Amino acid sequence: MEIKRDILWRVYLSFLGVVLLSFIVLGRAFYIQNVEGDHWRSMSDSMHQRFVELDAERGTIYSEDGQMLSTSVPYFDLYMDFGADGLREKNGKRFKDNLDSFAISLSGMFPDKTSSEYKKELKQAYNTKDRYYLIKKGLSFEEYKEFRAFPLVRLGRNKSGIIAEVKSRRLNPFGLLAKRTIGLSRDNAQNVGLERRFDSLLKGTTGKRLVRFIAGGAAVPVEGYEIDPENGRDVITTLDIQMQDIVESALMKMMVQSASQYGTCLVMETKTGKIKAIANLGRDKNGDYGENLNYALQTTEPGSTIKLATLLAVLDHGTSRITDLVEVGSTGSAYVGVRNVNDAERAPKPVMTVRECFAHSSNVGMSKIAYKAFASEPDLYKNYLHKFHLDKRTGIDLVGEDAPVLPRLKRNKEGLHAMITASFGYAIEVSPLHTLMLYNAIANNGKMMKPYLVNRIRNNGVTVKEFEPTVLDEAIAKEKVVQAARNCMEAVTTEGTAKDVFKDSPFPVAGKTGTAHVAGGDIKYYDGVYQASFVGYFPADKPEYTCIVLIKTSPHAPMHYGGQLAAPVFKEIANKIYAMYVQGKKGMTLPVTADSSMFSYAGFTPDVRNVFEQVNMKPVDSAHKNTWSIIYSNNYKPVIKGNPVVKNQMPDLFHMTLKDALYELENRNMKVIVKGRGKVVAQDIAPGTAINNNQTVTLLLN
Amino acid sequence: MSQQADIKFSDLAGIKPARLLTKTRGDKTIWALVFLLVLISLLVVYSATGSLAYKMYKGNTEVYLFKQIAFIAVGFCVIYFAHRVNYTIYSQVAKILFLLSIPLLLYTLLFGVTLNEGSRWIKLPIINMTMQTSDLAKLSLFMFLARLLSRKQNKIKDFKKGFLPVILPVAVTCLLIAPANLSTALLLGASCMLLLFIGRVSTKHLMLTISCAMIPVIFLVMAAVIKHKSSAGEEVAATTTKKEKSSKLFARVDTWISRVENFMYGSKEADNDNNYQTNQAKIAIAKGGAFGRGPGNSEQRNFLPQAYNDFIYAIIIEEYGLIGGAFIIFIYLVFLYRSIRLFKKCPYAFGAFLALGLSFTLVIQAMANMAVNVNLFPVTGVTLPLVSMGGSSFLFTCLSIGIILSVARNVEQLEGRKKMEALAKQEEEQEGEEQEEEVEEEPEEV
Repeated sequence: MEIKRDILWRVYLSFLGVVLLSFIVLGRAFYIQNVEGDHWRSMSDSMHQRFVELDAERGTIYSEDGQMLSTSVPYFDLYMDFGADGLREKNGKRFKDNLDSFAISLSGMFPDKTSSEYKKELKQAYNTKDRYYLIKKGLSFEEYKEFRAFPLVRLGRNKSGIIAEVKSRRLNPFGLLAKRTIGLSRDNAQNVGLERRFDSLLKGTTGKRLVRFIAGGAAVPVEGYEIDPENGRDVITTLDIQMQDIVESALMKMMVQSASQYGTCLVMETKTGKIKAIANLGRDKNGDYGENLNYALQTTEPGSTIKLATLLAVLDHGTSRITDLVEVGSTGSAYVGVRNVNDAERAPKPVMTVRECFAHSSNVGMSKIAYKAFASEPDLYKNYLHKFHLDKRTGIDLVGEDAPVLPRLKRNKEGLHAMITASFGYAIEVSPLHTLMLYNAIANNGKMMKPYLVNRIRNNGVTVKEFEPTVLDEAIAKEKVVQAARNCMEAVTTEGTAKDVFKDSPFPVAGKTGTAHVAGGDIKYYDGVYQASFVGYFPADKPEYTCIVLIKTSPHAPMHYGGQLAAPVFKEIANKIYAMYVQGKKGMTLPVTADSSMFSYAGFTPDVRNVFEQVNMKPVDSAHKNTWSIIYSNNYKPVIKGNPVVKNQMPDLFHMTLKDALYELENRNMKVIVKGRGKVVAQDIAPGTAINNNQTVTLLLN
Repeated sequence: MSQQADIKFSDLAGIKPARLLTKTRGDKTIWALVFLLVLISLLVVYSATGSLAYKMYKGNTEVYLFKQIAFIAVGFCVIYFAHRVNYTIYSQVAKILFLLSIPLLLYTLLFGVTLNEGSRWIKLPIINMTMQTSDLAKLSLFMFLARLLSRKQNKIKDFKKGFLPVILPVAVTCLLIAPANLSTALLLGASCMLLLFIGRVSTKHLMLTISCAMIPVIFLVMAAVIKHKSSAGEEVAATTTKKEKSSKLFARVDTWISRVENFMYGSKEADNDNNYQTNQAKIAIAKGGAFGRGPGNSEQRNFLPQAYNDFIYAIIIEEYGLIGGAFIIFIYLVFLYRSIRLFKKCPYAFGAFLALGLSFTLVIQAMANMAVNVNLFPVTGVTLPLVSMGGSSFLFTCLSIGIILSVARNVEQLEGRKKMEALAKQEEEQEGEEQEEEVEEEPEEV
């Protein structure tokens, strides 16, 4: 037993060692728990729990009639993680099995590459174990839904390694329309337009959520630690999409025709100051036009359109009346006080009334009456500019409005010189919006309204802020003066510079042409660049809308007068708006039908025939191949008469059911407002009228 | 005295127990401990595989539960059949197995399947299961050592005749395992040293061996020190030199160096990918507290790679607390104590060494696993015997337990026979010859 005893102490020693080791292990665990414990536990929290941001949905910008002008839509960027375990396990069996069908599906959806090309690229990415391989960017939700059903993709993220990143993109459903004013919302540059002005409201508040990461990379929200994102507010603008369309297309037509540098056009509701349409077209390098800058807010030398301010000042000052005679001479040039003044167009007669001077836009005449009024005190003219709010920003709800630049009108020779120059629109810089605001005040009988673009701010359909029209000045001039000015403005279209354009106008228009020879920046006066403008309101007797058109020509353009370039655009806009809005307001046109029969139905022709067949009646059928027909009785016999409908024209919906009427109208992309119930008894657009996209039609049912 | 009409239980004919039960012998305590460990493994593995199940089977966690149950069932069969075998046979088996394991290790080293970095695995052709050859080699080496120690006991202090024949198989096996799995080789070497110490090998020789073995380890530590200092200075240079070493054998050297480096320098502030595992394990331990978060409530299982395997002890502490961790250690210690008792009772050298060797190495492996979990040792791929999720190592552990129980069964039978003999001697003192014949059949008595 000697040997066994020798072994036994060794065994006990070893056992003791093991026991000692086990105490060390336990001690170490105790140390980790109690000495380092706080450190590890807090580390665990920071590793496994994280605040993630919850993006708020950006608000939508609407037109006044409820059309989306700018909204956010989700889109998807697809990546693939070729290091995904599910993809690579069993030597990449899943990848290899699905590669062919996946590549075929991909090329089916995105035919820019063939399936073999896709296959080659995927294989290469698999071999390099690319963990963030870009498959495609910018998929719409519909496309993404389709993509999710693809082979491999449908196995889920863990097995396929597919990573889909959702982003949201700003979408302008109406494209070009008022785009600069609606604005851009972009990640890599500053926003512009309403998107910028109302950014803080539109973007909402980003939420936060505490999540815990669990198996499979999934994140589980921790209860009670969530701040919901507040979705952005919706902005309802004053813009009218149809008016915008009219304005934009009228301006575009002239821009293309004259190849001008840029043009802008604004339509304002006279009574409220609402901007109903705002178009800004600039020419790019390729000669195409787009909404690239908000020219309506940029100040330039206005030229003759400022003469309204001069006229108002002089009349208000009381030194001249519109019937006073002014000698302008026959040379088109005269020395006025301290400087020589030239007329752009030779005056028709050497002596004219103040009214005629305004109508014919005589620089000599206008500067003479200004000299007469303010020769001794040019600073008074400045007071008038202040009174007309031309010395400060309009305060429209857009960022980036230029402040007007006024000359230094002091009581000295320089001041007088500047005053005379400013009286016909030079040495002073105002924006088209300013000019519009001034003319609108006259149209509004002297009450100056602040221009504005936003009606209300809504939050989930509930209005949180309403913007009311703002009166800047109850009366910028005496009633008599305003009436005299309106008289002069009407003379512009009846006998003055815009006579030819408006001679056949169905409704009276009042306005003023402007032609400014511009310089500034790279452009010198000898380049022959002009700024042609027309600003006015219609109908002149009962103003509803005030509008300004301003076009800056290319150098040495053959057409550069306000009456030639801007006035026709104004006329087209005025005519269309007048037809749609001013006339339309006068009430619904109830069609007078000679049909006095007892019954009248309208419907789908085959159905109508079918009904007669079923009841064994033999009507007089003259529907021929028309889709729609109308039934009525004639000499106690039922008659089916065809109701021809033409694609781009308003159909006759009389006595149709709402279902049929909607079918026809919505096929024409029209917006329908329905009043009452029953069958259609009236429509506010006469049958056969040409219709525009998105035009609104009101139906009366009974 | 009137005879009472009651019957003694001992007089009853007795119910014949189920056949399996009657044939199940060996130390009852060891059986109970094994049951306990396996039960714990079922609970912990079920909890810890949640993350893995999510990844592989879309969250169907029962897959791993049933897998583990199946392994346990197979494992018990292995234990049962192994313990039914007369342990003396293992002496021969040990020799064959050992001779077989050498070429197998060679094969693995050169053609093995690469799984979790090192090439340590071979694929078994028919049952389609990967097997870590080092597990087989370990077991066969321990058995073979028991055989050698028991045979050379008389000349064990002699360097040439005693020491060399014993140390040679150890050295060969360790060297063959080392390239693919250095930590296993080191652990195996250390366990063998302990066995040799127990087996009365001269301490002088042992020290010599240890100092030889330390040379590469020192190199490794020095490399780690140099790497740490150079990477602090110029990281670019370190990465370029890294790329140059791409041969298969040297591919692992980098891993070792960086592991040692992490162990030596990885403070608790350093939070990078390299000591991610240890940090996560520490978090698990720290979260467990004294009483744990309760079964199935582990959070770290989702972050700890190999939570069901190498790092299962951290999960046990997280779910069952320090108390649970201590209980596991207690089980292993009791197991070791029972094996020592077995050794004391066992009159035969081979059986005694077999039981001691296998139980010591098993417990040492458990200790090593726990030490890694509490970051006493650098990260190595050592499983917690009987608790970690199944696999070939689980079955080999079962086999060694079966062998220990086989020794125990023989000891039991021997004791039973001794009692019988004592009884017989009292009555008839004639029969004593047969016994001596039997003894000669058994291996040399110590």
